[in-house]
Amino acid sequence: MDLTEAVERISHKMESKGKKVERSKIESKMRLLVEDFGVNMAEAERTVMNDLAKEYSVNLAGAQNADRKEIGALMPGEWVTIEGKCVALIAPPSPAISQTGILADTTGAIRFVVWARAEKPPMEQGRWYRIESAVVDEYRGAPKLNIHSGTTISPVDQDIPIIPSMHRVAELRPGVASVRVKMIQEWEPSHPRMLQTGLVGDASGIVKFTIWNEEGKEKLQPDTVYSIYYALVDEYAGRLQLNLSSALYLPEEGDIQVWSGEKIVGALVHIAPGSGLVKRCPVEGCNRVLSRQNYCSVHEIQKNFRYDLRIKGVLDDSERACNVLFPCELVESLTGIRLEEAIELAEGSPLGMDEVFFRLRDAMLGRYFSCTGTEIEDRTILKDCQWLAYEPKELAALLNRAGGA
Amino acid sequence: MPAVERDSGQASPSFEREAAKRVFAAELREVRVQFKEGEDRKSPGFILFPTGERANRIFIVGTLTEKERRGEQNLYYQARVADPTGTFYIMAGSYQPDAMQQMAMIEPPSFVAVIGKPTLFEGQSGATRVSVRAESISVVDAETRNIWILDTARSTLKRIESFGNTEDSKRAREQYNTDLQIYRKMVYDALAQMKI
Repeated sequence: MDLTEAVERISHKMESKGKKVERSKIESKMRLLVEDFGVNMAEAERTVMNDLAKEYSVNLAGAQNADRKEIGALMPGEWVTIEGKCVALIAPPSPAISQTGILADTTGAIRFVVWARAEKPPMEQGRWYRIESAVVDEYRGAPKLNIHSGTTISPVDQDIPIIPSMHRVAELRPGVASVRVKMIQEWEPSHPRMLQTGLVGDASGIVKFTIWNEEGKEKLQPDTVYSIYYALVDEYAGRLQLNLSSALYLPEEGDIQVWSGEKIVGALVHIAPGSGLVKRCPVEGCNRVLSRQNYCSVHEIQKNFRYDLRIKGVLDDSERACNVLFPCELVESLTGIRLEEAIELAEGSPLGMDEVFFRLRDAMLGRYFSCTGTEIEDRTILKDCQWLAYEPKELAALLNRAGGA
Repeated sequence: MPAVERDSGQASPSFEREAAKRVFAAELREVRVQFKEGEDRKSPGFILFPTGERANRIFIVGTLTEKERRGEQNLYYQARVADPTGTFYIMAGSYQPDAMQQMAMIEPPSFVAVIGKPTLFEGQSGATRVSVRAESISVVDAETRNIWILDTARSTLKRIESFGNTEDSKRAREQYNTDLQIYRKMVYDALAQMKI
């Protein structure tokens, strides 16, 4: 625990009771106990809180209910009492649910579900509620607060400002999260009810997002930075995605760095069959590689195929053998062999497309590359790749390391 | 890897390719320990480097100084590839058709990159020798050779520096009673001869 955080909490609690206490005063009381008397942080916080409550004649009884939990600390399987602000309402996915949304306090946020059979009056967005005897469980890896017939909901007349803590994309877990990200890619919606889907990212990682078609929902603008508050983080097939149905998202000025993919520096130790010049099925949305007889495993013989150039290989840094794919643009820029030239080579050689394979192999196999890319199903699709250059500076450093014993 | 791709707990059914270790010829020459991981006939075989790391596959870059075609029915190539510390013995037979065809086209002397599996052989005289069954061999340039020397020096120093802290290095200490100073000097000499 951190002393500054404890001071902050005490100050908040006093403020919520209408008393403004100097932070320096709280801090010096805390320091006295913690530093001079060696009291543990939790006990010190409790003592200072009680001292101040007496000094300012504040009644803490209501707020310090023994079994009231902080939302950030809820665990599946618990019966809990919380106080939280209803920060989002989401259209219920089923008639069995009368209301669903997100409750937040200063420590975190959680998805809640009010079951129709509970027959509770609806909550209003933006108001605080005290929820007694609700049950926390887990749905697809995310904690969820269930409000059933035995739960009591009572409005609380307060408005403590909540500043949601921002999560790094790489550290997202199923549940509710707030992120500051840039929209980097927009995809074709895969469902008529989908307003928009694509990728957002920050410096730590990228993640898929989806906005469903609901009243008042707006699309994200490409290359724009957004603060997204209270998005649902869903897990599907081992992957996380952000569902913005519940979220408030605001465009921001300026720009942020976005994670550019995995970096691999290593030697190309294998070039797999199926590399080089390939023919692809022209049927819209298919794009499968055809056999030598122009046969597509789904659309059979396709005479109007289109050519593509690629290398499927293995980059090896001596610790990991990484399956990679060099797409056409990279093969062209690394080897100087352009797609049109590769087609000419193949058509003019008795070896046909093998001629291109051999040329690429002789140019690239056994060489070192420095690349970045994105891993998709055990293969890293390279986005950027350069021949690795010899660094004389490294020689000096290694000589020191070897001679330094 | 982005952490958004969470480990779903399902092990990928596809087999994982063994990484190619970097080793200088002078160290590979000293290898005497070969073992298998697992009981299966198909489980991978490993050799143990004296500096304490197992290898199923190695990546080497050096100068092809000699190649020889051998065998009547079962044609194969034997070749020598030199690095700053010594010589690798390379074999490419009919079980490695790609490597054999590539070998047929390369004339010594040239810089080559070899990816292959190291194996221990017992010669008629009873002496053990390490040779490398090539999976592929290709002509490269001097720059690639230079990068490889740095790469291999880095790998070897890393093994030396973590000696005694890994399972494989504890095993190497038992089996070889490794004198790390010798290998440190080998690395230093390999690097020093580049300095022109």
